[in-house]
Amino acid sequence: MSISSQDPSSPRQFIDVRKFTTQIVRHRSWFVSFIVLDILVVMAITSDPILIETWNYIVPGIAVTIQIAIVSFILATIVGLVTALGRISSNSLIYNSSTLYVELFRGLPLLVIILIFSFVITPALIDFVTTIPFLDDLLQHLVGIPEDRIATTLLRTRDIEETTRIIFAFALTYGAFMSEVFRAGIESIGRGQMEAARSLGMTYTQAMRYVILPQAVRNVLPAMANNFVLLLKDTSLASVVAVPEISHLTRQYSSNRFRYPQGLLILSFIYANLTIIMSMGVYWLESRLKTDKRED
Amino acid sequence: MTEPKQPIIQIRNASKRFRNVLALNNVNLDIHAGQVVVIIGPSGSGKSTLLRCINRLEVLDEGDIWVDGMQLDHSATNINRIREEVGMVFQQFNLFPNLTVLQNVMLAQQIVRKRSKDAAERTARGLLEKVGIPEKADVFPPKLSGGQQQRVAIARALAMNPKIMLFDEPTSALDPEMIKEVLDVMLDLAKEGITMVVVTHEMGFARAAANRIIFMDQGEKLEDTTPEGLFESPESQRLQQFLSKILSH
Repeated sequence: MSISSQDPSSPRQFIDVRKFTTQIVRHRSWFVSFIVLDILVVMAITSDPILIETWNYIVPGIAVTIQIAIVSFILATIVGLVTALGRISSNSLIYNSSTLYVELFRGLPLLVIILIFSFVITPALIDFVTTIPFLDDLLQHLVGIPEDRIATTLLRTRDIEETTRIIFAFALTYGAFMSEVFRAGIESIGRGQMEAARSLGMTYTQAMRYVILPQAVRNVLPAMANNFVLLLKDTSLASVVAVPEISHLTRQYSSNRFRYPQGLLILSFIYANLTIIMSMGVYWLESRLKTDKRED
Repeated sequence: MTEPKQPIIQIRNASKRFRNVLALNNVNLDIHAGQVVVIIGPSGSGKSTLLRCINRLEVLDEGDIWVDGMQLDHSATNINRIREEVGMVFQQFNLFPNLTVLQNVMLAQQIVRKRSKDAAERTARGLLEKVGIPEKADVFPPKLSGGQQQRVAIARALAMNPKIMLFDEPTSALDPEMIKEVLDVMLDLAKEGITMVVVTHEMGFARAAANRIIFMDQGEKLEDTTPEGLFESPESQRLQQFLSKILSH
């Protein structure tokens, strides 16, 4: 290689420029191209009044999209963790019921689950709730029915927002996916760790909480982040039940004015930026965990 | 033992099967407080299984074990209570890699013994001093040598103030030059009078520290003797064969 990059006495050579450039070209060209493309699209949007109008119409949906993704993801993580513990349980009732849940929700298309939650489960639950006055009043209070009317009215299906309904669909579907991630993580920790913890007098729960799970979760952080990216993209399915997220707004806008190319350009632009930035985060996380391991 | 006190470990008619292998075959063994018992035998002879049954990492198919007066397989017995009194050191160390050395020694003290953080840290630092690696307190275990890791594992078990220490081939996964540092720590412990049950192939340790040597083969306890008796007058033929194999070089 070049002499200058190997010569330690050369004081100005803080980074190996050549190695750095090779690194960028070899492994990051796709990202550089993406940024260039991104800038071109931004320039196009800012210079075209129609695209600006499209942008302004769709942009409020970003908050909804991200809100659905984050809330469902948090719920899915909790559900996934609990289910994963159920899947490794020696209690056959717990094991079988959690396995049934996982297989069922992984086996149904997400779109179908969303439709079921919106049009079947929520109305059925409401019918049930209205037979119990206490629950009925409580839920009416939670969804913001004026206090003076709570006593005299019953909860109606349309009082429950579509966003709330589909968040449960996402949380339970991704909970099933996440439980497999966590289960793999827990099973990746050697049996000796549990034995060591138990031999010190810890209960199963203590051993899980203080010894196994911290290591397991750390091992599956990249997989969790990947699931978040997938979930974020899948929120577009919420458009079928008219949740005002970006896909729904795009369809609305495009079909009203026959501006499909413009609408879909903006929509793809937004999704690509959200997901690719997060993918970069995943790469970073993976490489960090890898170097940590190497130092071990 | 001269005093006819109740043994701290009583094993009665212990049998254990793994599929079609008989790992333990009707083993009876009494161990008194303060004894250092070394269990030897060829691999697959049931030594480790016997040890792991004492703190119920394995469950007996038949027979009973009493530890410190508590019966192990009895449903009313709180197994965690017994495990608090029985420390265990593993062949593969099994330190918690996500915690520092100090935290490894502190964790169980805090959540099982409910000691305060300060008290746990004081005990932990004292024990790390004792096993000779106080300077490694804030290092993560994977950065230590095998011998250092095993010494931390011993400190971690001792931190619970166990009445009994079980050692499951503590030096078998170590490079030769690290075996001594671990055996030295174990010798010190033996002198302090803690009850120890050690599965090992280290005959030097057996000779120097053991009160009793148990020879096992194919799940059976074949000989229960003293170190002198073992080397000078091995009774069973299988023990003679075993000794000639391990002492030949």
